[in-house]
Amino acid sequence: MITVASAATRPFVLSWASTRLPVLLVAALLLLGAGYPLALLFLTSIFPEIMGGRFEGFLDAYRRIGETDGIGSMLWNSFAWAGSTTVVSWILGVPCGYLLARTNLPGKLWARLSLLVPIMTPPYIAALSYILVMQDGGFFDQLLGPMPEALRAWFFSFWGVTLVMALASFGYVALATEAALASIPRRLETAAAQLGASWGQTLRAIIIPLMLPALFNSGLLVFLEALSNFGVPAVLGTRANLPLLPAEIFYLVTSWPLDLALATALSSLLCLVALIALYGSRLLASFMGGGRYEPETPHQFQLGRGARIIGLAWFAGLFVLSTLLPYFAMLVTSIADQWQGALPSLTLDHYRAILTPGSRGSEALFTSLWLAFAAATISIFLGAWIAYVISRTQGWLRHALEGLATLPRVIPKIVLAVGLILAWNAFWVPVSPYNTVWMLLLAYVVIYITDALNYANSRLQSMDPALEHAASILGASRWRVFFQVVLPQLKPVLLAAWLTTFIVTMRELVASILLLPPGLDTSATFIFNQFEQGDLAVAMAMASITIALSSIVLVVFQIRSRPRAPT
Amino acid sequence: MQTPNSDPLLECRQLRKTFGSHTALDSIELQVHPGECQVLLGPSGCGKTTLLNLIAGSLAADGGTLSIAGTVMDDPARGTHQPMQTRGLAMVFQNHSLWPHMNVEQNVGFGLKLRGTTSSQRRQRVMEILERLQIAEFADRAISTLSGGQQQRVAIARALVVHPRLLLMDEPLSALDARLKEELKSEIALLIRDTGQTVVYVTHDQGEAFALGDRIALMADGRIAQNSTPEAIYQSPSSRFVAEFIGSANILAFERRGDEIVLDNALRLAATNGLPANGHLVVRREDIDLSPGKAPPPDARPNGVLPGSVRHSRFLGDRHEILLDLDQGMRLRAFHRSALACGETVGISLDLQRAHVVRS
Repeated sequence: MITVASAATRPFVLSWASTRLPVLLVAALLLLGAGYPLALLFLTSIFPEIMGGRFEGFLDAYRRIGETDGIGSMLWNSFAWAGSTTVVSWILGVPCGYLLARTNLPGKLWARLSLLVPIMTPPYIAALSYILVMQDGGFFDQLLGPMPEALRAWFFSFWGVTLVMALASFGYVALATEAALASIPRRLETAAAQLGASWGQTLRAIIIPLMLPALFNSGLLVFLEALSNFGVPAVLGTRANLPLLPAEIFYLVTSWPLDLALATALSSLLCLVALIALYGSRLLASFMGGGRYEPETPHQFQLGRGARIIGLAWFAGLFVLSTLLPYFAMLVTSIADQWQGALPSLTLDHYRAILTPGSRGSEALFTSLWLAFAAATISIFLGAWIAYVISRTQGWLRHALEGLATLPRVIPKIVLAVGLILAWNAFWVPVSPYNTVWMLLLAYVVIYITDALNYANSRLQSMDPALEHAASILGASRWRVFFQVVLPQLKPVLLAAWLTTFIVTMRELVASILLLPPGLDTSATFIFNQFEQGDLAVAMAMASITIALSSIVLVVFQIRSRPRAPT
Repeated sequence: MQTPNSDPLLECRQLRKTFGSHTALDSIELQVHPGECQVLLGPSGCGKTTLLNLIAGSLAADGGTLSIAGTVMDDPARGTHQPMQTRGLAMVFQNHSLWPHMNVEQNVGFGLKLRGTTSSQRRQRVMEILERLQIAEFADRAISTLSGGQQQRVAIARALVVHPRLLLMDEPLSALDARLKEELKSEIALLIRDTGQTVVYVTHDQGEAFALGDRIALMADGRIAQNSTPEAIYQSPSSRFVAEFIGSANILAFERRGDEIVLDNALRLAATNGLPANGHLVVRREDIDLSPGKAPPPDARPNGVLPGSVRHSRFLGDRHEILLDLDQGMRLRAFHRSALACGETVGISLDLQRAHVVRS
């Protein structure tokens, strides 16, 4: 009764501008943050002189891709490398997923945890650690005696780089496989078996076709991640004499002579592949269909003793390769003083060097911490608001805004970073944050806001607009509705988004290295630079601290947000 | 139909299944003859689905034996458990059991393909069964475009097309809405009678059991409480549980005292011949006759007519169910052709000749 009365006595008077204001603001933000840099990137790749205001050399850069020696083979290598990383990840990950979903393997909780560690470890740190193991005079040589040269040559080649990247990515495939298998109801297999299908026939005719979408999608994710990864190609690719796309773009933008035209053309190409792959896969997914089932406990295959041992050995072997070995190398290097025979004397000097106030290391760490904190905080509030406005918009505008908002997730980080350099270096920008630390904060928010958007979106989808209408009818303003009705409901997902954003920005390498002003480091660039300058111990000490810090944040949040056990 | 002299197609002897410390099935004795439709009826948790899974072979028995067409499939004492591939059965599940990546024709043809038929033979047999189930027009459709009822028709076609020795149906209608359920129920009944298909049909719905079953095995707590024809299980329930589950019968404890019987320790009636000293009397609602306004005086008991009053009258479409208050707080349910006013006094006569006795 009261609501009706107040709604009637206080009708809203809304002009076009005030109803449209949030949508316009969101559109402007998205266009400025993601649309403008990318548009400029494409334009520069087509008109290399556009930044100087001239439209000369139309498509020159693309012509040079075809004509310059080495670029063709580099592109081919990049795709082949990302492709073989995907295949190796499938080979490593699919059996893990099958064992977890469909067998009575003991210790599944630990097996699942062992998959999460490599997912959480930044690939460039794993690559650096692997170099410490495999290089001439590295851990392998020290502890196991001289390594066969053939093995060393194999590792510092296409396949070694593939293996390191696959070890960082197979966890995705394993978890996606497990989820897909767990969602196939047992009766689909029972029906086939009763009609006389053997285990192999059921696998071929029923299970594999039903899993294909999940296999394909996880593979695509790995493929794009590898194709656009900068750290592993920059660290290991260069040592394996294997030039790969993101690293090449990086060198074109940072090493003399700069070649922005070629860099933007290669970036556009990379971007195009990513866009085609992702939207193509969506099209394909809608084509392949796939059923929805209510959850059911799937059939679990009873493993014999031998099969159990093989299954556990599979997980253990992958754990050793993907986690134990790199972490051992990282930690031991960070505390090693001098190598005398097989064992080094130990010291904490490298940690002290980083943690001493005023040192370059402590400054880098501090810069990373506050940047990650600021980026995560800005991202979740801005992301929640953008997601909210988009979710309450209708029609074509909504699709346009959604497309724009998801762009940064699809587009490789190095491409966005190059786009941002162009965008904020242009002569028409009056006040530019370029060459200050604020540029990096801007880049982090642009790149990682999609996490907050996704998390917020998933919750908003299931939220009844009636809750907001109830508040509006009582006379609450739009801002009040957002802050007092919408935001509180988003709190749990935003907390998760904050955590994710904080952790990934803490270790972000490529945007940092491209956008940081001279003389300033983040922990990631510090690790990268120290390693390249040969100060391995300090680099690894910083890597250990970074991983430890983000793990602590993760654990603290997990404990705080753990749902209370039902009593 | 029923051919009791032939060898049973399915035979369970002392079949037992345990899950940890819980005994899901115990001492199951069941014989299904060729051409029969055996219904397993019971409340949820009674073990009917477990028994179906044992027959299907997706679960292994822990005791007793299970044979199909004379071949032992399960004999845990000898370590025998034949995998479901070898049993020659087919199953229709409650819902969502069609393969979503195959169209209707591919789903139905899968079993024939495994049996190595040529594609033209397969096409012909698939189309025949689809036509029989009135879904031939959907042959090329994707499963996700079909309604629930159409999907169940496809599932039935997929099972029938291979001519299984035994067709297992696990609550195939329970996910459908009421109208579709009625329609498909009578169609299934016709289909299995026309084809002479031997069926084991699991349901918790008494109406389905009566419509489809040649025999109904009512299960409770992992045992078969009674296994007989629908008429027999309705008219001569073997226990109080069966009487309560099948139809809403009035169940009255009685004791014989000379030439009278005392119901629920309160109401006296002239005894009829053949009643034991005590037990429970099962009186169906249709076996109670009501005479509105003709309640006998409280102490007179001419011809076993009892006085009572109407508490509630419920319209069932073709008749009314009347809830009656009797002396001593006793209550009865009876059918009457018309509605009765609340509070109206009635004379109640029980047809003791048609009442069935179950021992206490």
